[in-house]
Amino acid sequence: MKKNKASDKTGALFKVGDKVRVRDMPYMFYTRSQMYTRGVVGTIAALTYKDLIAEEEAFNFDGRVEQYYIVRFRQKDLWPGYPFDNDTLQTECPHRWLEPATN
Amino acid sequence: MPSPDLREQLELIRAIQPAVHAPQNWNYENTGPMYKAYMHPPHDVGGQFDVPIYYEEKEEEQWELNTYVSCEVLGWRGVWTAEERRRRADNDLGYTLYLGMPYYARWIWAAAKMLVDKKHISLAELQEKIAEVKSRYEKK
Repeated sequence: MKKNKASDKTGALFKVGDKVRVRDMPYMFYTRSQMYTRGVVGTIAALTYKDLIAEEEAFNFDGRVEQYYIVRFRQKDLWPGYPFDNDTLQTECPHRWLEPATN
Repeated sequence: MPSPDLREQLELIRAIQPAVHAPQNWNYENTGPMYKAYMHPPHDVGGQFDVPIYYEEKEEEQWELNTYVSCEVLGWRGVWTAEERRRRADNDLGYTLYLGMPYYARWIWAAAKMLVDKKHISLAELQEKIAEVKSRYEKK
């Protein structure tokens, strides 16, 4: 079986408080990464656990584990026209789907 | 900030959902004829109503030829058979993709899905590779 290069570059873990952007990777066949968070900047609220990469486990592929995070987004950043400034939404994101963000 | 494409994407996804659309998951019963209609394979189109189709003389494009050759080579190497290719590309992909994608796009979709299903590549690897190639073209 071919070695999976993609998830070898797991990179340093994010820390609580880090700003991250959800990567806009291709949707095909299966993912648990939600469309409405794509490209949106949020804040790491917690490191939850390490687990198998969902896109590999779903196909019974012997993949490696990656870190999962709880990411906090401002609702105003997620939904055009959202009326309330202080509302937030937290959801789970795996490491591969996040990249560092500055703003 | 909210993705400018999000609203458009959600609208498109709503538009390609089937016209007969049970609310939530509450349709616990389907009539016999409805069940047969749901089970019908998408590629068996004989006798269905459709609009007149314009007949166009058109050469294959390069990506179509590449797709054809890739799929044939996968056959020669014993990774799949032509019947499996037809099963995946004409049937398993479902009505929405069958009716919405170009002919050879269905072939390459089926080849990629087959390679992931059979663990020749991982889906995570494929996602990363597509993203990498896409960003390379965007920089040019």
